[in-house]
Amino acid sequence: MKKTLTPASGLLLLTLLFVWWWNSRLPKAVELTPTLTGQAEYCLTCHADVPEISPSHPTATFGCVTCHGGERLALDADLAHSTMRGGANPSDLSVVEQSCGGTSCHSGSEADDRHHIQRVMTSIQSTYAGAIANIRYTFGAQTDLNAYSGITTLTDEQTQTGIASLAAFKAAGDDHPFIQKFGENCLTCHINATPLEDENYTRHTGCAACHSTAQHTFATAIPYTQCNTCHNRGNYDLRTMTFVERTDQPTKRIDDYYQPIAQFTQCEYTLDCVDCHTRTEVMGNGDIHANKKDIQYTQCKTCHGTPTEQPLTKKLTDPNDIAFTLSFLNPVGDLKLGDMILITEKGEPLWNTRVLSDGTYELFGKATSQYFTFNPVMGSGCTQSGDDQSSAYCHECHAVER
Amino acid sequence: MRPSFFHHLHPPTIPAAQARWRHTLAAGGIAIFLMLILGVTGILEMFYYVPNPEEAALSVQAITYHVPFGGFIRNLHYWAAQLLLIVSAIHLLRVVFTAAYGQPRQFNYLLGLGLFVLAILLDFTGYILRWDMDICWPLTTGTNLLKTIPLIGDFLFRITVGGGEACSTALLRFYTWHIFGLTIIVFILGFWHAFRVRRDGGIAVPPPQLRVVSARISRNELVRREALAIFVVGIILILMASLLPAPIAPAMTGKPGITEEARAPWFFLWVQQMLKWGDPFIFGVLIPLGVLILLVLIPYIFPKPADSDIGRWFPKSNRFAQIVVGGIGLIVITLTLLSFVP
Repeated sequence: MKKTLTPASGLLLLTLLFVWWWNSRLPKAVELTPTLTGQAEYCLTCHADVPEISPSHPTATFGCVTCHGGERLALDADLAHSTMRGGANPSDLSVVEQSCGGTSCHSGSEADDRHHIQRVMTSIQSTYAGAIANIRYTFGAQTDLNAYSGITTLTDEQTQTGIASLAAFKAAGDDHPFIQKFGENCLTCHINATPLEDENYTRHTGCAACHSTAQHTFATAIPYTQCNTCHNRGNYDLRTMTFVERTDQPTKRIDDYYQPIAQFTQCEYTLDCVDCHTRTEVMGNGDIHANKKDIQYTQCKTCHGTPTEQPLTKKLTDPNDIAFTLSFLNPVGDLKLGDMILITEKGEPLWNTRVLSDGTYELFGKATSQYFTFNPVMGSGCTQSGDDQSSAYCHECHAVER
Repeated sequence: MRPSFFHHLHPPTIPAAQARWRHTLAAGGIAIFLMLILGVTGILEMFYYVPNPEEAALSVQAITYHVPFGGFIRNLHYWAAQLLLIVSAIHLLRVVFTAAYGQPRQFNYLLGLGLFVLAILLDFTGYILRWDMDICWPLTTGTNLLKTIPLIGDFLFRITVGGGEACSTALLRFYTWHIFGLTIIVFILGFWHAFRVRRDGGIAVPPPQLRVVSARISRNELVRREALAIFVVGIILILMASLLPAPIAPAMTGKPGITEEARAPWFFLWVQQMLKWGDPFIFGVLIPLGVLILLVLIPYIFPKPADSDIGRWFPKSNRFAQIVVGGIGLIVITLTLLSFVP
């Protein structure tokens, strides 16, 4: 027995050495205590190479868990990731309130302009109300073009200008087969939907559908390519009620538009979508709208005016003007107190424009920082009626042939 | 050489035939060793564990991932606890299968059975202390089973869990039961059990005139064998604790809810399987209690084993007790395996 004990104790010692060696192989935990939460988290142990998402969300302030959730102390990948919100995308609309919400963040009051989530949830980008109403009307499921259904059930009893409620769209068994096919094939564009599997459709859902333009990046400088992941990837074939992906790979910007018969003026294929279209148009205003035309209002005249009227302008005299906030978030140009900028008919600042001393205008591309100058219509010799200002009228003279 | 205190805890000599590994299976000694491991690792965990619903699961994560060797200590505690249940069951089976429970050891058999039940309760309370998502179902179901007991159910629920819902009070109650209430009873019964082994004449053997082998081994040899068992079990435990992490799940947010996979800890899977069949009081309380009562009555209702059969494997004279206990074991194992069938 004595002879057995010696090797046994040696073996025990060896096992202990093994444990020590095994433990020394584990990666050294990297701690981060964000100032916002004051709670240590260890995500950086494995994710040190992830870039900071945006200057507005510094890692040292927000950390990772504030947005992503997850088990902040766990060093085991499965456990650490098990309670993450929305998988890799905490801005998915199913979890956006927990991830991005809060009165000081993105679900605050309208007065503070912090009701982003409320706006996005009710916007046509997420309700898809117009498309659904059109299809249901076309195939006899409803007798008018009013919006009754959206992607999810929504109510807004306080609404002044919008719709009070939308029911969740669900193609019923007695619906026209095309409505059912629409339900199966055509609901991949609204921002709660997972996009089609193709690198050209690559986008996230929720806020990140538009704002995440590269890996772990959040920006308000949104290039047209981001919009194209939904708006330029093909078309719906109403004869088969299927989505037909475009097969070409255009290399010239002017060819990148999918509507083969559409006409475009230079600014439409030179600028980015966000250079003209405002936050309210894209993200909604907090009311439920029936379709695109109820919320989209920017026209050529918004910047150029008409033969009889100059575009609306505003002199920036308040340092707290929202224009400065927007300019701060996407610093192109050099907006200063006292500058005269263009504004829309609803008073939204076109903060990347400026009225020059000679009566012309300048514009900085929000996504490209490119510098442009442009003229007012008034005094140009244009005779187009001030009442007929939709783009089709302007295209008559100013479209570029392709 | 005068015996040391440690040697002195052992009888001067014991019968060689009954001291063999294949007779004792070293189960009783290993159980004591595992309890010592549990005590030491448990105390170390207490330095970091926070028995408060908001912080409990996080403190378990902190122990597991950030305290130096914390994960190893926690894994040791976990695996020692699981092995203790297995070793205790083996010890019980050995005692029945070698007819070692008869007069004068009936009372010590009861003490041992009490320790086995306490080990199960300690394992369950320890499991609940994780306070993570995986403990929701066992906590809710286990404590609600108490309520199904007529007349005293609510009272039992209140003293074990606390008033109202199984939430904040439950954690503190389970903590206190785990580290103090149950542990102190285990200490008392454990010492009593060991004392009674000596008082009842040491390991069960036939009377001197009926012994086939009269050889005995010294306490020095016995201690050496114990040391070897400790080394072997120690190595196994250390390897398990290094390579097999103890279960852990995301922290609970809010009150316990039954949203995660509803699975009891492995030693209660047989009860969970029966709960699928109907009335929770019958299948969750009466039948397990019936099994325990049957085990308690073994030394009293079955024929006394023949003197010459004491300390022999599978003797004829207590065949009936062997069949009953073996049958219970097989049924428990079968029910446990059945619980994995979807």
